[in-house]
Amino acid sequence: MSTVDLARDLYLLLAALGLNLAVGYAGQPVLGQGAFVAVGAYGTLLLAAHLPLGLAVLAAVVGAGVLGWVVDFGASRLRGAFLALGTWALAWLAVAVLAAFPGTFGGEQGLLRDAPSVLESPALGLSWRLTPRWHLLFAALLCVGLVSVTRALGRGPLGLDLAALRQGPEAAASVGVRGAALRRTTLALAAAAGALAGAGTAVLLGVVAPSSVAPLLSIQLFVAVLIGGTANPYGPIVGVGLILLLPDQGRGVGLLTALLLVAALALRDPVRSRLPRLRLPARKPRPRQGGVYVPGPPPEGEAVLEARGLRKRYGGLPALDGVDLTLRAGEVHALLGPNGSGKTTLLRVLAGAVRPDEGTVTVAGRDVTALGQEGRVRAGVARTFQDTVLFPELTVRQHAEVGSRALVPAGTWRPLLGVPSARRDWMTVRALASEHLADLDPDALPSALPYGEQRILQVLRAAATGAACLLLDEPAAGMSAAETARLAALLRDLAGNGHAVLVVEHNVRFVAAVADTATVLASGRVLAQGTVDEVRADPAVREAYLGRSA
Amino acid sequence: MSWGVALQAVATGLAQGAVYGLVALGFTLCYRLVRVLDFAHGDLIVGATFVSVLATVGTTPVLRSPSAGVAVAQVAVALLIGAALGAVLYLAAVRPFRSEVGWVAATVTAGLVVREAVGLVFTREAYAVADPLHLPTRLLSLPGGGRLSVRVLAVLGIALAVGVLVERLLVRSRLGKAMRAVADDRDSAALMGIPTDRVVLVAFAVAGVLAGVAGLLSAPAGPVTVSGGVVLGLKGVAAALLGRLGSARGALAGGLALGVVEALAVSSTWLGPSYRDVLALAVLVVVLAARPEGLRSRVA
Repeated sequence: MSTVDLARDLYLLLAALGLNLAVGYAGQPVLGQGAFVAVGAYGTLLLAAHLPLGLAVLAAVVGAGVLGWVVDFGASRLRGAFLALGTWALAWLAVAVLAAFPGTFGGEQGLLRDAPSVLESPALGLSWRLTPRWHLLFAALLCVGLVSVTRALGRGPLGLDLAALRQGPEAAASVGVRGAALRRTTLALAAAAGALAGAGTAVLLGVVAPSSVAPLLSIQLFVAVLIGGTANPYGPIVGVGLILLLPDQGRGVGLLTALLLVAALALRDPVRSRLPRLRLPARKPRPRQGGVYVPGPPPEGEAVLEARGLRKRYGGLPALDGVDLTLRAGEVHALLGPNGSGKTTLLRVLAGAVRPDEGTVTVAGRDVTALGQEGRVRAGVARTFQDTVLFPELTVRQHAEVGSRALVPAGTWRPLLGVPSARRDWMTVRALASEHLADLDPDALPSALPYGEQRILQVLRAAATGAACLLLDEPAAGMSAAETARLAALLRDLAGNGHAVLVVEHNVRFVAAVADTATVLASGRVLAQGTVDEVRADPAVREAYLGRSA
Repeated sequence: MSWGVALQAVATGLAQGAVYGLVALGFTLCYRLVRVLDFAHGDLIVGATFVSVLATVGTTPVLRSPSAGVAVAQVAVALLIGAALGAVLYLAAVRPFRSEVGWVAATVTAGLVVREAVGLVFTREAYAVADPLHLPTRLLSLPGGGRLSVRVLAVLGIALAVGVLVERLLVRSRLGKAMRAVADDRDSAALMGIPTDRVVLVAFAVAGVLAGVAGLLSAPAGPVTVSGGVVLGLKGVAAALLGRLGSARGALAGGLALGVVEALAVSSTWLGPSYRDVLALAVLVVVLAARPEGLRSRVA
């Protein structure tokens, strides 16, 4: 194998390693990496006619990154399949554009670069001829660099965020993981790596043609990453190795690629279940003094969250019809009401999962009505779900750590760069998280916990965010008497630490045991509000629950 | 652009757009029932078209209108193959997969398999396909100096008739009602005794038939390539997204709109024929980035 071939193969690996961030780590089905390779290759050759080579490459890579970021814009808010469709369309758009403007892109023949590949800077008096050997070194360094960055990312706090995002996007948002931003950023990075690979190949070979950036390339790169497995920094090396075994030309390539794709899918889960689980290295968390912002609980009795005049209609039907609610530090507040009275809608509005039609929500005096879920967690509101929504492949400790990430302004990219302060912050996160584990086994997976502990873990994950206000949707649902008692003790502890706790609940005995104050909703309106005893004695409440004759 | 040219462009655009509408209708129907985006939809068109040619004319089609018997056979084979491919697609690439990445990859694979299998037999770059429907190609003079083939009007008529018929059947017929029930809530529909799996299977077959019709109407209009089906399929998706994904009427209307815009762009001096595929694909990418469930979707 010649040096040129080897360098080309390493550039292909670079494109796959980049795609691994978006596919293997962020769990996005991206079917258009070929388009980004095309942007890099054609962009570089076109721009190099007017710019120095280095600048041309840089411009093409940045352009591809921006394109990747934009393509992910809407799709990241919905299901991944739309992103797959969008990137697939992009792969075909790239080919269509190349065919439509032969004057610019050279048609079927593509673009040639006759200028010698020299990186020069007259200002510095440098002139550096890019031989295939230099390409080989350059591509190898890029691949090694990308693998080590990916590996560091997977082990650090970002890897935890990404794992949470892959395994439960909704739950991840509920504890403040910035899912949309992570998805867009990983796709932008993937696109940039693809473009760099395209630029390198084009400069190396001195030519780029539409056939080398066909949609089949996009599928092949996707397959290569899929074969490599989930969140595995080395995976694409195996995948690209298999792709390179396919013949270069001819009809068979497509069928073989299809076969590989099916095989990768069919074997993914069985193979993964037989592999030893990759764990984060267990370092002893050390508490750190000072320097990190940890929101102290507000003084007892102070209003933490205030909702005023909330209204929400679904298709003409009012789900909330002018609801006022105040949650105070140190208090457990029960939200009661018959089915369909708007309890869960109210909780979703308070948590930022649903925007109200009218009304405001303030947290510690700050208007948070316009914030989404992730923003509300940082403002001090975290929630749990009616169903048990956990991350199946994260341990109990990691659940708490994902939550605690919201507390520490570790930034998104600082951890990757190995900044010491980022590392210290991460240690603090882990220390904070471990304070929240209660008596659960920190190394257990959720599936190994009894049902009641799974429900408790969900509450602990929300509490680990340090949010002053916890919104719990039927936390005791389905629990045995002993488990319910344990939960009640936990909720009293949380309130004792100064949290304001809202509990949506049906079980009146549980409410009487745990809550200080209560609100009863009926048809989206507040029927009664006050201490639990006052509310229970209210005739309107008795009528709503027991009927007029009672 | 003169009035005559504009009129001609609008008419051709409507005809082409009605064909896009049929593709969009099939795509949107499958999405509505099982919330699956069918990446192989365009390849159903190619599969149905090429297999029908293979079965009746052979691998070296000549541009001579086929005899009546051959023509009938070709139409029948195209529709049957379309239905069969649609059904097989559901059984092999959609039903077995619960996870999203599963059916995305499986339908992409299915499309690839169809393209490659057809490509093994039809090895030339592009093919000219004779019109099995014998639609007249006489040219009409339009006011303002434009000229229009009668065939364009016939294609528009047939495609619209098929599209509206299917849309009406979805609203009126028992099967259509069953499909709406499955779309609204599959589990409840199953509890009510609707054979949901069979209903979905039929929907995919109907989508395949619509793809077959689209192939029959569009193939004689120009050179047909094996990979051209993907682009036609993606244009159908773009048409479906101009309305609200899942809406049959939206798909037909979106198709007409896309066809007209494309024809006007192509015949304008400002953009020109280079934009025939570029425009629709760019629209698709932009709409998916901005409002993935369609321009008129309620969820942004």
